Amino acid sequence: MIYDYTIKYRSENHYETPVFEAYWQFLVTPENNETQELISENITTSVNARIESSINGLGFNTSRIHCKKPFKDIIFEVTFKLTKKEINPFDFTPSLDNALDYKLLESLLFRVEFEAYLKQTKLTTLPNLPEELFLFDKRESVFQNCLNLTHWIFDYVTFTTGVTTTETTLNTIIQNKKGVCQDFTHLMCAIARRNKVPARYVSGYLHQGNGFFGDSQMHAWVELYIPKVGWVGFDCTNNLLANHNHIKVAHGKDYDDCPPLKGIVYSSGNNFTKYTVEVTHQQ
Amino acid sequence: MLARVANNLFWMGRYIERAEHTARYLKVNYFSSLDAPNKLSQSRQFVLQSVYQMVGETSFTSLTLKEEEVLYNVGLNLNKTYSVLNSIKLARENANSSRDLVSTEFYESINKFYHFAMNYSNDKFVKNGLYDFTTSVTEHTSILRGKIRGTLLHDEIYALIMLGINIERATQITRIIKTKFDDANKAIGGYANPIKNSYEWTTLLKCTESYDMMRRYYKKSPTQLTTLEFLILNAKCPRSVMNSLNQIYNNICTIDNTKVFKKDTSAFLIGKMRAEYEFKTIEEIQLNVHDFIEKTSQLLFSIGFKLENEYFYV
Amino acid sequence: MTKNTLNPIFSSYDKIQSLYDEIFDENSDVREVYKKLFELYSGLSIDDYGNLNEMAKASFFNQGITFQVYSDTKAQEKIFPFDLFPRIIDHDEWDTIEKGVLQRSKALNLFLHDVYHDKKIIKDGIVPIEMISSSSNYLQSMMDIDPPGGIYNHISGTDLIKHSDGKYYVLEDNIRCPSGVSYVMCNRGALKKALFGVFNHYDIHSVTDYAENLLEILESVKPHGVDVPTAVVITPGIYNSAYYEHSYLAKTIGIELVEGRDLFVENDFVYMKTILGSKRVDIIYRRIDDTFLDPLEFKQDSAIGVPGLFAAYKKGNVTIVNAPGTGVADDKAIYTYMPEIIRYYLGEEPILNNVHTYHCSKEDDLKYVLENVNELVVKPVDEAGGYGISIGNRLTKEEIETLKETIKKEPRKYIAQPIMSLSVHATYIEDTNSFEQRHVDLRTFTLLGNQKDFVLRGGLTRVALKKGNLIVNSSQGGGSKDTWILKK
Repeated sequence: MIYDYTIKYRSENHYETPVFEAYWQFLVTPENNETQELISENITTSVNARIESSINGLGFNTSRIHCKKPFKDIIFEVTFKLTKKEINPFDFTPSLDNALDYKLLESLLFRVEFEAYLKQTKLTTLPNLPEELFLFDKRESVFQNCLNLTHWIFDYVTFTTGVTTTETTLNTIIQNKKGVCQDFTHLMCAIARRNKVPARYVSGYLHQGNGFFGDSQMHAWVELYIPKVGWVGFDCTNNLLANHNHIKVAHGKDYDDCPPLKGIVYSSGNNFTKYTVEVTHQQ
Repeated sequence: MLARVANNLFWMGRYIERAEHTARYLKVNYFSSLDAPNKLSQSRQFVLQSVYQMVGETSFTSLTLKEEEVLYNVGLNLNKTYSVLNSIKLARENANSSRDLVSTEFYESINKFYHFAMNYSNDKFVKNGLYDFTTSVTEHTSILRGKIRGTLLHDEIYALIMLGINIERATQITRIIKTKFDDANKAIGGYANPIKNSYEWTTLLKCTESYDMMRRYYKKSPTQLTTLEFLILNAKCPRSVMNSLNQIYNNICTIDNTKVFKKDTSAFLIGKMRAEYEFKTIEEIQLNVHDFIEKTSQLLFSIGFKLENEYFYV
Repeated sequence: MTKNTLNPIFSSYDKIQSLYDEIFDENSDVREVYKKLFELYSGLSIDDYGNLNEMAKASFFNQGITFQVYSDTKAQEKIFPFDLFPRIIDHDEWDTIEKGVLQRSKALNLFLHDVYHDKKIIKDGIVPIEMISSSSNYLQSMMDIDPPGGIYNHISGTDLIKHSDGKYYVLEDNIRCPSGVSYVMCNRGALKKALFGVFNHYDIHSVTDYAENLLEILESVKPHGVDVPTAVVITPGIYNSAYYEHSYLAKTIGIELVEGRDLFVENDFVYMKTILGSKRVDIIYRRIDDTFLDPLEFKQDSAIGVPGLFAAYKKGNVTIVNAPGTGVADDKAIYTYMPEIIRYYLGEEPILNNVHTYHCSKEDDLKYVLENVNELVVKPVDEAGGYGISIGNRLTKEEIETLKETIKKEPRKYIAQPIMSLSVHATYIEDTNSFEQRHVDLRTFTLLGNQKDFVLRGGLTRVALKKGNLIVNSSQGGGSKDTWILKK
């Protein structure tokens, strides 16, 4: 089955004092992959500025705005239309030899290949704890362990908005056991990597109206590399595998690799930002 | 040429010229007052106020100015934007930002100048160093002009520095004329009286290093008419407004070799002003000297402003 | 020291036998290459020398060949102390150095290409994976980018010392933004002014060809499809401590010196703002650290970078020199694998020696280091400018214990090497108004381009002015000497 999605991303920024020059780089465009195809993209801004698209260092499409005329308010709005295939995330041949898979995770070639997604970053560093939070059970398959980890994280952290920021480290998350999707995702990345499974932080959109956690803003989930299968998406905030409700924008080592907005603003004084996301689909 | 660096070169020129005029104004007024023929011109307060007026210091409230304070503020106080030392500091800072474009010889000179001024003792300056310091400043600036002329290609780099120097010169000359004109008015006892002959005209000419040239040209003691004519309209006098305007026009043509300038450009504005002044007579100016000088400084200001927006803040 | 008492300017020269002296051999005879110079200098009295020294200092100061030192109260301008006694290197010795540093630069370049592509050297187990996975200088964004000509480290600065065994050892390869080359030229200029007579007696290589070679190297790596490229030098600005060098390079190469705010990116092309509009920029010789280059790609708070620059680079529309991400290879930990890296990529034996290095990340090495701290130099892996270096035999007992604890906390952050005794050279010391032995090292400059390379025949001999001090960095009170390479 094919789903037709319409996604509206809108960001409003207000500055106390006039901005004389500014650059914004939005990383909000859904990528094209096996399960999703971008049909159209329509970007508007409330100020008279250049809009360009460009590819960032990690290979994702960005929209860049350069504004040279003084202003205090800017609205950026973008509408995407895309199609998403219905997928059964369990549709793969399960691995028969678990021992071989774990051996592969240990091998140098594998570790070099996935080096970027096996390393600790500032946001995915686990604090020193007396015992491991979650250890893989080597009798079960890598995939099953990842699934179990998803459940474990879902139970461990309580979805709570307003208690963390994009800079919150795992120390705090583990202490308070509260957070939003990027905190769930950072914790899952860290534990997966600790168990030698390559983990990518994924930023994207979530279909609204199904009562998912984290659907009012941009969402985050994890992609883990399962031997012989490839990258599989796990949404630990909602305790499920990524499916046709998940529209992927970008991935990276952690949030810092894929924030939806980076801005360089030549101005003094405070600013206020508000952004909203609207995701709708017809079948 | 980078817009930012062009701006640095332009302002370097302006600050070098500003340092010189401020220093010279301070020196000439102070020392000529010592043997001035009339009482008011001799009055130290009169001189100090004139110096403050020239540099644009308006915030003083006390009716009696302290000599050491005025000298320090105008000479070496880095917290005063108008001080000679601040101009030197800014000139060198601008030279630093364009260091790769100016000659090694020129940079060495401005650097030496900077260190000389920065290390000048405050005590010495206000007690007995006024003559020494201000004379050294004018000598150093002459050396700088020499190095600019002699060690830089006469291309757009040269033209930008000279543009700054010439605009600043025209501005400063106008300022000095304005201040001395007011002084002369005061010295004679009110605007009602004619101020044809006044000691202030001699001081004015000395402030602009034009006294000898003027005597050679007119072969008479300076009067208001001849002094103003010489300093505003005489194209042969290297310190006159007219001469500066001619150079400014040549400089802008070197920087931007567009043949026909549109009417909202600074080059057009300069050309227009220059043409007007070329056919101006001193008799016309005499009808309202005050307004004429006021208008001149406004025009120069708007040219400078336009230049910056047109070439430097792109 | 009987033989030298004949020479008044060396009368109080206090020679320590255990160190390699560049001028005097073990019998206190003047070495062959210095004989003529020694004779010429004998005509001077130490007071003449003192006067010349003052003149040279004033000349550096007036020319503004200075760096800024910031104290609590205000910025101070200081000159990089210059010593009038040149260092001489004979041609045969230089030949080895030249071949050796070029070999290292080429090997490092291949290493960089490899770690940003297939990572073969790691897969083959030659270099441990941690060298990239825990290096903060390894930029994932550089993966699979092919810089023009395949060149990453266009400009390398290699630091060498001569040990008490009389052999050269490499201490460090600097391939981020190595600095100091302007001082090579300035030192030569200053020495010529002060003692022009001595140049008639030696046939030495000129150092003035660096600028034109650098320009050729820059232009050899122009972006694809550009005929006549525009190159610029980018500086953090006039308050940077190396600003003099940046402006000197721009001036001698004859290209613009820009700051980040002079450039902007449009449609993935880079332009500079000129008085007559925008002009495209094709090659950027950057003197800004990687993560400050582009606030949209790296540090968002960088005020000295160019938003969008990296995307333009990735697209191949502009060349950045040195390439971003080169820092991964001038890590002090990578240094210790240099012999293996050279053998792996070039199939050659290293021409220059490496100092043996203990990795505190390895258990055996850590044990050895902790037991022998007093005989070792301990260095943090990722600090530049001589900061954080501890020299074992200079520490008190308490200091040694503190150091051990520091190492134990984060072993990976530290390496240790035997204490190398840097060679010594006669150096004029102001305080005593006489010549004394001081430790020296040598920084060479190597350029790599597309089908072209160049080693500057000269170098920066840095001298530690504090008695007995081994750290020669200018930020730590070091000075420098003109360095002569003799022609064949």
